[in-house]
Amino acid sequence: MSRIDEIIGQFQGADYQETLVMLLDYSEALPPLPDEYREARDAGFNRVPECETPVYIFIDVKDGKVRIHADVPEESPTVRGFVSLLVDAFEGVAPEEIVSAPENLIHSLSLDRKLGTRRMFGLSAVYNRIRSEVRKAGGVN
Amino acid sequence: MAEYANPDVLVSTEWVAGHANDPKVKIVESDEDVLLYEVGHVEGAVKIDWQTDLQDQIVRDYVDRAKFEKLLSEKGIANDTTVVFYGDKNNWWACYAYWVFKLFGHEKALVMNGGRQKWVEEGRPLTKDVPNYPKTAYKVSRVDESIRAFRDDVVKHMGAKKPLIDVRSPKEFTGELLHMEAYPQEGALRGGHIPGAKNVPWATAVKEDGTFKSADDLKAIYMDGKGLKKGDDVIAYCRIGERSSHTWFVLTYLLGFDKVRNYDGSWTEWGNLVKAPIEKP
Repeated sequence: MSRIDEIIGQFQGADYQETLVMLLDYSEALPPLPDEYREARDAGFNRVPECETPVYIFIDVKDGKVRIHADVPEESPTVRGFVSLLVDAFEGVAPEEIVSAPENLIHSLSLDRKLGTRRMFGLSAVYNRIRSEVRKAGGVN
Repeated sequence: MAEYANPDVLVSTEWVAGHANDPKVKIVESDEDVLLYEVGHVEGAVKIDWQTDLQDQIVRDYVDRAKFEKLLSEKGIANDTTVVFYGDKNNWWACYAYWVFKLFGHEKALVMNGGRQKWVEEGRPLTKDVPNYPKTAYKVSRVDESIRAFRDDVVKHMGAKKPLIDVRSPKEFTGELLHMEAYPQEGALRGGHIPGAKNVPWATAVKEDGTFKSADDLKAIYMDGKGLKKGDDVIAYCRIGERSSHTWFVLTYLLGFDKVRNYDGSWTEWGNLVKAPIEKP
């Protein structure tokens, strides 16, 4: 079972409060952006423009494995938690695994039902951005 | 310098810090980000979420009277409790929750001026401890629909050429954008504004530190600037009625207008209505 499928299972079985706790744990666990990416971030590169929160995503594919680095402000814990969840799910996997992950991941995680559909757009934008970057960097269609 | 019409409706961060353990007071945090309360909140504060707590999850409406009573009872809020609201983004969602509380006739409601931002910037403590208060038996005695406008009210209002305030961003007002920037899921099929509406973006009413502008500045914006008068019958709207609840608060309590209604259907209703008249430059 892939890591993302495990995570989906955990979120599907969680109630509202448990979902918040898991996202909060994720939010606190997001590793800081490595120094080598800071200059690009400060120059405004790699921002996800559709997301209201300033979210920066850097994707590299080396030796067939995906590396994800991200920067999300602590004042936006929901988006930060979701990005950290994606790092947990996809760091080090093959690009194909990300491309074949559920199209509507937010729904699979049942975040739309639990947190309200109106908050989901920024999360979808981040997810789609990661997938499209992985496609480009990994040469996967 | 002029005073606010109802200065007592605002309390300072310092006041809130001094009333954390006051049994007559409950502090309520309402944020856009559903997780912000969990990250840390003012000691003793309870969380009320605009979407999952206050809105009905099926019909486009607020929760019904029974659900509101249950929610407040569980949060330990009684009918005579003084409720102090605060939240992120210039108290945007705090004012929305405030308006919903007023809709259900809650008497004593205050706003912490400057909201979460000011509290954090002052270096005041946040806690993750979720308080557990004894349950109350909250009863809604009357629903105050006088602060809420529906579509048909707006049609009449427009026909009578009474003041309409559109509090969205200028680009949404002109119809260049069909949604608030970065919120495209709350769009409408048509862009523009309700004929006759004047545009005053909601955040015009706050200073950089998140506190409300002075009474003189607010008067200059809404009254001298847009020609509104205290006795006017005013309807405010935005996209889903949240930003306009902030303006409703400013006009009603800080400037002392007699009759301000919030049209919560707002542009996501009007801009999708078949044959609804639209002004677009």
